[in-house]
Amino acid sequence: MLRVVDLVTAYGKIEALKGLSLEVREGSITCVLGPNGAGKTTLMLTIAGVLRPRQGAIEFRGEPIAALSPHAIVARGVALVPENRLVFAHMSVLENLHAGAYQRKDPYENDLEKILARFPRLKERASQDAGTLSGGEQQMLAVARALMSRPRLLLMDEPSLGLAPLVVEEIFRIIAELHRDGTSILLVEQNAHMALKVAQHFYLIEQGRVTFSGSPGSLAEDELIRRAYLGSARA
Amino acid sequence: MDEYAIGVLTNIGLFSFVALSAWLLLVAGELSFGQQAFFGVGAYAAGIGTAMLGWPLPLAALAAMALGAAAAALVGLPTLRLRGLYFTMATLAAAEMLRILFELFHWQIALGDERIGPDGTQGFRGIRWMLERGIEPLDFLAMVWILLIGVMVIFLRVENSRLGATLRALGHDPELARSAGIDVDRLKLGVVAAGGALAALGGALFAHHNTYIEPRNFDIMLGVHSLAYGLIGGLGTAFGPLLGVVLDIGVLEATRSLQGYRMIVFGGLVAVLLVFRPRGLLDERVVHWIRSRA
Amino acid sequence: MIDFLQNTLDGLALGSSYALLALGFTLIFGVLRRANLAYGPAIMLGCYCATWAYLKTGIGLLFLALIAVAGSTLAGVYVERLCFAPHRKGAAAAAMVASFALWMQFEELATLALPRHLYAFPALYAGGPLSLGRLTLRVESLVMLVAAILVCAALWRILYRSRFGTAVRAVIDSPAAAELSGISVSAVSLQVFALASAIGGLAGFLIVSGNEQVTPMLGMWSTLKGMLAMMLGGLGSLPGAIAGGVALGLREAHSQWYLGPQLRDFIAYLLLFVLLAVRPPWMNTRSAY
Repeated sequence: MLRVVDLVTAYGKIEALKGLSLEVREGSITCVLGPNGAGKTTLMLTIAGVLRPRQGAIEFRGEPIAALSPHAIVARGVALVPENRLVFAHMSVLENLHAGAYQRKDPYENDLEKILARFPRLKERASQDAGTLSGGEQQMLAVARALMSRPRLLLMDEPSLGLAPLVVEEIFRIIAELHRDGTSILLVEQNAHMALKVAQHFYLIEQGRVTFSGSPGSLAEDELIRRAYLGSARA
Repeated sequence: MDEYAIGVLTNIGLFSFVALSAWLLLVAGELSFGQQAFFGVGAYAAGIGTAMLGWPLPLAALAAMALGAAAAALVGLPTLRLRGLYFTMATLAAAEMLRILFELFHWQIALGDERIGPDGTQGFRGIRWMLERGIEPLDFLAMVWILLIGVMVIFLRVENSRLGATLRALGHDPELARSAGIDVDRLKLGVVAAGGALAALGGALFAHHNTYIEPRNFDIMLGVHSLAYGLIGGLGTAFGPLLGVVLDIGVLEATRSLQGYRMIVFGGLVAVLLVFRPRGLLDERVVHWIRSRA
Repeated sequence: MIDFLQNTLDGLALGSSYALLALGFTLIFGVLRRANLAYGPAIMLGCYCATWAYLKTGIGLLFLALIAVAGSTLAGVYVERLCFAPHRKGAAAAAMVASFALWMQFEELATLALPRHLYAFPALYAGGPLSLGRLTLRVESLVMLVAAILVCAALWRILYRSRFGTAVRAVIDSPAAAELSGISVSAVSLQVFALASAIGGLAGFLIVSGNEQVTPMLGMWSTLKGMLAMMLGGLGSLPGAIAGGVALGLREAHSQWYLGPQLRDFIAYLLLFVLLAVRPPWMNTRSAY
């Protein structure tokens, strides 16, 4: 469904991605693990169109999307839940969700109902300004907003970052549910333990390159977690 | 050289001072819409000095610079912490206040059979020090350009010094500069005062070139022009604002045949130029490239 | 007392035109975080188109209003494409100076078409002022006030009750999040520019037909008053723009009466300077262009 081939993305002279390739299969959860600074967020931002790659190709359902702007990529069915959440702080929860559905020409009231049912906390706070929500609620809202565009592929960048353990569990429960409903997911996570529970396939990236890929269990979990946190070079 | 060419070259020199002062703030990271007011302060102060108090021009010009620096510092102090559009608007507000004060400024003394001095919106005529001393336009032109070259030498020396690097660091990211141990407030105040003095020097010369000044000379149009000169010419070197002035005044004078259309052509060219060179013709990269060749 | 009431009435009328100017300015500023110096000159150009059409054909006021709005909108779109669309990231100074360059362009274009310094513009209302006891009220002022209220109401509906409005507010809130939600920031910016310039064109039309004359100074005047009212209202807030415009109008009418025009303007700038230096809490604290 998504094919990333030999991707190079640079900030000025510093290359954050140095020829990275990966693939996401339709209907799967694919997880990207790696230490800080490995280029995970750069990868997500490049796929979403926020960053322009210097080299390489990104294909979604056979169509090249590497030169498109973010809103055009959303229109093709790829939505990013960014790392820092980025909700519209001065707009209500409901308005945030409407904004998420901006691209859709079809009536989406049913989807809105379903999504609010999935996130009861958001339903309670529907008319509240998003800026007044807690960190976990904002994360839920960011996910819900991305879902409003009815993506075929959901990109999630560290959805558990900085959240309380109970909220993290809820997030992963939702990820599992979305997967069951047929959404493909590319997930970047520091929390390798949780991520490996839901993922069918994972990539380990270090210093801008894929250094290992496989299905959970193909590498001993403690070895994997060690490398995901620390990187093999320093181990 | 004919009188017309002398006039054009003198004007290029005069407006270079105020353009340099706006450029200085631009390099330090702030857009000022207010340098014209300090140009005006200099013009009035020097005019009063020579025409009313009988001072020689050098003394009057020095006094004008001191007053310009003081006025700029006075405006600068309460606005040191303002960034972006807030600072820009504060400088505009201050400059307009000063212009209105010029309009309200009446102080005339009897000299011989005429009254001399600022007369509100009627302006200030009779700043004739040059005529009385018999200084020819060509001599005045030389004086303006010698002073300008002096200023440029200082600018170019500062550019290659630690102070220059500190200034650019401030312009690039004031928070980063602050955390690097730079006394941002003091530096900014110094820049503002230096810019005020520089503009005032230009104003002092302007008053003696024209012999007549009025508050309208120092309105926002001059301020925005000064700022535009630096940005068109380039932020990379102090030659940038000079290039801007030469392009504007020089091109305007050279294209008299286009009478009536030149701002349409020139305005469009500037807008298009900034699309491709948002930091001006002589931006940091071009300057770096030239240096590496030299 | 009667003077005070009369001044207040005049101030409200004046303030409603400032409010309209500030609304347009604020919309652009909110979406782009950039000051558009060519905002007023675009309005001036629109009004010059209308004046030109009036001199050539003598058509009615309604058409003149349409021409003024259409002309301002076109000029505004031109400014956006040339000065703001290319400088979306960074380069705030370049965008501002580019808009100044187009200001010069518009001014010359206007004086080229109509070279005299001053042109008569047909009056909005030919009859005399209404009297309410000892107070007098110009019908033009009444029209201006009503128009301002109608435009605010319509704008409120657009911004808070439409799909387009959601997109506009999303872009104002966070351009990055808007893009990631599928909203084209570039398209919304252009649309907002057109909308704001149209509002400005209407304000310009009301002002010149109220004054029954048009000069190229309208350009600078509109930019300055719009910017001033926006800053007084707290920068980037739409209700603030209305409040700022009305406050500016009231203050000008009163201080003009007591102090004359020079001190009136002096106080306006002093107030702005002090407000900027002190930065009361209602003024937006985001660092912004």
